[in-house]
Amino acid sequence: MDCVRDAARIEEFIGWRSRGLVPAKAFRIFLLVFLASSFARAQENVPIISGGLGFLGSSSGGVNIFQPVLAPVIAIPLSDKFLIESRADIRGVVFREQGTTGPYHGRFFGTLEYLQLDYNANSHLTITAGRFLTPFGIYTERLSPIWINKLQDAPLITPIGTGMAYNNGFMLRGALISNSTYSLNYAVYFSTLSTLNKLQSQRGAGYRVGVFLPYTRLEVGTSYRRTLQDTRLNSVGVDFSWLPYRAPLGIKGEWAHSPSGHGYWIQASYRLSQLTGSDSGWGRLEPVFRMQQFFRSKFITNDFLPSSNTRRPEFGLNYFLPHEIRLNASYSRQYFSHGTDVNVWDFGITYRFLFPLWPGGSK
Amino acid sequence: MNRRLFTAIFLPCCLIAFLFCAAQEAQPQSRGKSSVHAAKPASGATSEGERRFRTNCGRCHNPPEDISPREARAVIRQMRVRAMLSAEDERLILQYLAP
Repeated sequence: MDCVRDAARIEEFIGWRSRGLVPAKAFRIFLLVFLASSFARAQENVPIISGGLGFLGSSSGGVNIFQPVLAPVIAIPLSDKFLIESRADIRGVVFREQGTTGPYHGRFFGTLEYLQLDYNANSHLTITAGRFLTPFGIYTERLSPIWINKLQDAPLITPIGTGMAYNNGFMLRGALISNSTYSLNYAVYFSTLSTLNKLQSQRGAGYRVGVFLPYTRLEVGTSYRRTLQDTRLNSVGVDFSWLPYRAPLGIKGEWAHSPSGHGYWIQASYRLSQLTGSDSGWGRLEPVFRMQQFFRSKFITNDFLPSSNTRRPEFGLNYFLPHEIRLNASYSRQYFSHGTDVNVWDFGITYRFLFPLWPGGSK
Repeated sequence: MNRRLFTAIFLPCCLIAFLFCAAQEAQPQSRGKSSVHAAKPASGATSEGERRFRTNCGRCHNPPEDISPREARAVIRQMRVRAMLSAEDERLILQYLAP
């Protein structure tokens, strides 16, 4: 329809021009046609809003916390080369005033997780500027969204090497080599210090390099970050991910080390779709098991890591309902080397949504 | 008390989710979306696109239940950056999602 309208306008424009239309009016019509054509072309690159909506609850050692969460993702393709993308996390936290007793109180938090401009320079390089997630390991960048993560709580070692998880700066990333046998991907970044409210980031630099073998769906990566403010800190990490073709099984893990300590997590999930089909009652169920440990070396303030050696085996169940709705529940016991061990119960319901930002046809 | 509170919140959430899904399934699909689970023409490019979708995208998340071609274009543009896809991966996966 846009093309028909454009053509009609062009015909009108040509007709008026032949009748000796004044240049100013002709220019305005030309501008109108140009904008309409741009809009028609933009239909191919329509902006979208996606993300997750959820209600999460947890009970850790008798302390209950409930969190309604909205995590919208916006992607705005500007042309074939440029893309603006952003994700926010808006959540309310409802908790008891004295932990296990007292009346419930609620607070709202909003976080801008990333807002970045991407330029696809070529098949192997994308240049990113703005606020972005730290490419350290696989959890923060890939598995942290509430509609993706299999277990609600982030691994204990997630703060290692991620700074404050968000960076303001620039990044180069892409697939350096990509063929049917293997793929070598990379991300290199520099982040500047920012103390702006809601936009904090630390000064630092780092990279992640990964090798992915498509035939086995095995990926192994290594990450490094050097924090360049206050005390200079080096963090290193190794991650892997394996999803065999023959079974709906996923095994992922990370190990990370920093001056604060080191630790690992390893997670296995198996969807029961092989038994009765992915759309059957049992086939929608996915048990998950995760084991994680953290070993404290030195106490560093505000490193967001457990204050003592910690061990946490965790078992969970995900149930995938139709229409991108998922229920999950998990139980874990957290063992501390100093302190009282606690039981942690989590449950949640999440909904994954995806809409174009303006209406139009399906094509 | 805490367990009762958990039960009081968790069970209604489950019930609402089930009812919502049942209601959605009873409604005809009118958004013009296509399901990636549905049978697609088994052309060489499409099957290669499916393989690349499973290989790359399936590492982090399940395939979307339904996605329109307009949405697919923007999603793939974004995933090219996030999943570090090559230009060829992007082209073939888009061909699979929006044939």
